Amino acid sequence: MSRVKLTEFKAKQLLFQELGKNYKGIAVTKEGKSYRFSSSLSQLSPKKEYAVKVDQGIKGRMKKGLVALNVKKSDLQNICNLFAQKGFTRYLVEEMLPHESAQEKYISLERTRDGILVRFAAQGGIDIESNKDKVRTVVITHNAPLPVLKDLGLKAEEFEVMRELFEKNYISFMEINPLVITESGMHALDLAVEVDSTAEFFVKNGWTGQDVVAEQTKSEEEQKVKELNSKSQAALSFTLLNQDGSIWCLLSGGGASITLADEIYNLGYGQELGNYGEYSGNPNQEETYLYTTYVLQSMLKSNNKKLVLIIGGGVANFTDIRTTFKGVLQALEEYRTLLKKRNVKLYVRRGGPHQEEGLAMIEKWSRENNLYGHVSGPELPLHEIVRLAVKTLPKKK
Amino acid sequence: MLDLTKLRNTDHSIIALGSHPGILQSMMDFDYLSGKRVPDLKAIVASGKKYLRLFWGSQEEMIPVYGTLEDVPENIRNDTSLFLNLTSGRRSMSSTLEILTALPNLMGGTLFAENIPEKNTLGIYNHIKKNQFVVGPASVGLLIPGHLKLGAIGGTQAKQLLGANLFEQGKVAVFSSSGGMTNELINLVTGAGKGISFSLSFGGDRFPLLTPIDAFRAAEKDKNTEAIVYFGELGGYDEYDLVELIKAKKITKKIITYIGGTISEMFETPPQFGHAKAMAARGEETAQAKTAALKAVGVHATSSFTEFIKLVQSLPDTKMNSNNAREKMAKGMSQRKASYFINGISHDKDGSVEIVGKDLLSLATEHSYGYVVGSMLLGRQLKSKNTAEFIDLVMKLLVDHGPYVSGAVNTMISARAGKDLVSSVVSGLLTIGPRFGGAINQAAKHWLEGVDTQVSPYDYVESIAKKRGIISGIGHKKYRVDAPDPRASLILEFTKQIKQTSYTDFAKGVEKITTAKKGNLILNVDGAIAAVLLDLLSEKEGLTVRELQELIDAEFFNAFFVLSRAVGFTAHYLDQKRRDEGLFRLSPNEVGLTK
Repeated sequence: MSRVKLTEFKAKQLLFQELGKNYKGIAVTKEGKSYRFSSSLSQLSPKKEYAVKVDQGIKGRMKKGLVALNVKKSDLQNICNLFAQKGFTRYLVEEMLPHESAQEKYISLERTRDGILVRFAAQGGIDIESNKDKVRTVVITHNAPLPVLKDLGLKAEEFEVMRELFEKNYISFMEINPLVITESGMHALDLAVEVDSTAEFFVKNGWTGQDVVAEQTKSEEEQKVKELNSKSQAALSFTLLNQDGSIWCLLSGGGASITLADEIYNLGYGQELGNYGEYSGNPNQEETYLYTTYVLQSMLKSNNKKLVLIIGGGVANFTDIRTTFKGVLQALEEYRTLLKKRNVKLYVRRGGPHQEEGLAMIEKWSRENNLYGHVSGPELPLHEIVRLAVKTLPKKK
Repeated sequence: MLDLTKLRNTDHSIIALGSHPGILQSMMDFDYLSGKRVPDLKAIVASGKKYLRLFWGSQEEMIPVYGTLEDVPENIRNDTSLFLNLTSGRRSMSSTLEILTALPNLMGGTLFAENIPEKNTLGIYNHIKKNQFVVGPASVGLLIPGHLKLGAIGGTQAKQLLGANLFEQGKVAVFSSSGGMTNELINLVTGAGKGISFSLSFGGDRFPLLTPIDAFRAAEKDKNTEAIVYFGELGGYDEYDLVELIKAKKITKKIITYIGGTISEMFETPPQFGHAKAMAARGEETAQAKTAALKAVGVHATSSFTEFIKLVQSLPDTKMNSNNAREKMAKGMSQRKASYFINGISHDKDGSVEIVGKDLLSLATEHSYGYVVGSMLLGRQLKSKNTAEFIDLVMKLLVDHGPYVSGAVNTMISARAGKDLVSSVVSGLLTIGPRFGGAINQAAKHWLEGVDTQVSPYDYVESIAKKRGIISGIGHKKYRVDAPDPRASLILEFTKQIKQTSYTDFAKGVEKITTAKKGNLILNVDGAIAAVLLDLLSEKEGLTVRELQELIDAEFFNAFFVLSRAVGFTAHYLDQKRRDEGLFRLSPNEVGLTK
């Protein structure tokens, strides 16, 4: 997960700071039944009009009805309630900037291998997607002089500020749409920023992990794996696909996991797949144990009568199979009674350092507990374990 | 640029940045089983101990560890052809940039860390010279069977390396973003009786420093490679670049590929499958679209693994030689046992003792005692006769300084209390410390510090005076500037045999300042020994400042006093026994009382 979205509130704060101006927007967070404001509402004037936007990294907010314009101070509470009813918890309140829609321009900066790719258009606004042919692009290499932004009426210093903001904060992608330029300078009416999550350590006086928009998780287990991953040197991921699925996966490695998932799909069992995810980078026993626990918890919530667990992966380079399987077994043992009750069969295919000991342990355990489906090392082709596992499921048309 | 011919024609020297014993050991095992005489791994840059103990076959091998790249000896730096960066994502950029610019003959290296920010990766990208390559980030490394293993690639156990027979050159190049799939494919291909020509994993980041296209170009150029096996994933446009190269006839070799991620089409908004960059934002980034585009230009592309395995059978065969000899070598490796001690001084083999690499008898008959002592204390044979002579002199000079000094008094009291030889001598030795006899080392520290920081003797004296400190090696109770210590003069005579006397000059410079303040603040025996010894070790024995510093840290300079004076204490013990004076006791008027 390397590119993550910042809240617009934080992104604007950073932009204003870079421009040497004071940002007056107010972030609203719904906490339980009440709202928390980043600064007092008393500074808002009853005579002015405001824009209220859902600030959770959602694209195309205007079209989705997640932006309210020309809001009076007295209507603010109602708008917040409206967004809250739709299930959103973070909003942004800003003073409206009077302007003509013809004034709306577009600019974005993206990090690419060759430099910063700048896309810009004199006509921006919410229809930018349909005006793609009007968007011009230029790649700015390191310290290169600034070209062609004249069309936008953007001052060189202002672009310099954007570039500075982009570099200092390890931004991967940033988009201002609409961009309005008046006599007082540039105004970023909407600002979307994606930063590199791995750069938090390097960013000084900028964003932190707390300014990142939390991705929506569908289940408790997804959330738990996410937290586990954030504290680990190894990589652990988990996505719930079908809560009532029959095929559940404990896969290793970004490449092997996708091969196995493909095989399930190619055999026509894609809809039966309960989860996707993988663990890799030599997690320790404790981490593997916790990860397995969350997969098992999720699986045991499934209402499907027939359950199979595929413990699959390629031949690891340095992930220790003995250690990781010890963690897996620790979790299996904990859920033994439930696994037996639901008659969950285990299908294992894995290779790597200390594979013999790891495979032997899991074979012994699954046979003793009558949960043996199949256990094999690299002598079985990677995808074959999927074929063996789905054979036991009801036939697909 | 990755140049396989050049890589194959080089006997590599590797520096590891950061340590990962499992991976480094697997590289040593690979080299050993490949039949190399010495390991490619020459040095490790990491914090902590001075050596990392690894195994070469069943024998322990010490790989030197240096705190910084600068500390690595120049000959190793100049010979280094490859690096393996095992540092964390936070440190990878600075350490990679440093090594790319600092080493004159570096061809390239690999980056193991995950979580390197994109901006930092691109920062490295812009600094790679045309004749260099860097594989990674998040890469398990680069492998050329029988010749080079740079990273975890191929496995970390000897059993894995043997199982996939990574010692025979074949004709199939294998690559993938995924480290796991790279190894899976290596096993798949070799399991089918097809040898590997080379293999690497780009890593799953958005901006791999060595791109898939770079790898395809290298494989095309490589004379050993006849076919290429590639595992790709949905997301990105690399495969379209490949299509263009094939159309332009720049890539002509047989390619077999599996593009993972067909499952993604099942979802309207698909979750993240595979690696971070494996996300099909646009239609042409799907596995299906890429597979079709590759097929259209004649690539054996498939989105089914069953089909893929069939395609692997069509790869060119390699005649694999028997692995028996290697299996046997590997068996010997299982006898590994880490030793409790590492010793560089001596050993005893079948009754003949060898000390610092020399037979004890010839050492005893052909050399002075000073030579034996000096060689043993340095842990290697002395290079210069001058050093041996000087140590001989020092050992004689320090033997005794009258019965009034603390150590001698303690020895005599113990002897009179009826204690045995060892106890009495040890009670004297235990008295040696900062105030008695232990000043040589501290003096050496002063002179080294002064010369190394290029401070003037005046400023040095002032800086110590400010802290109200004292300078060891300066000052004597009896001797003065007008009544010099004859022993010190004798020691300083030795400088005539040395060209570069910077430490002695500095010590004399200090003496000049201190004696101007007070007549008895002369350079004493301790200070003179320290100064001359530093000059000798530096010029005649070729020790670097860092090595001298390490000797000081280990209290090397005090050793001469301890050894020599042990003779004196022993003499005082025997003398007291001869006289049999009875128990020593102070009378009450000889001890002052507090109220």
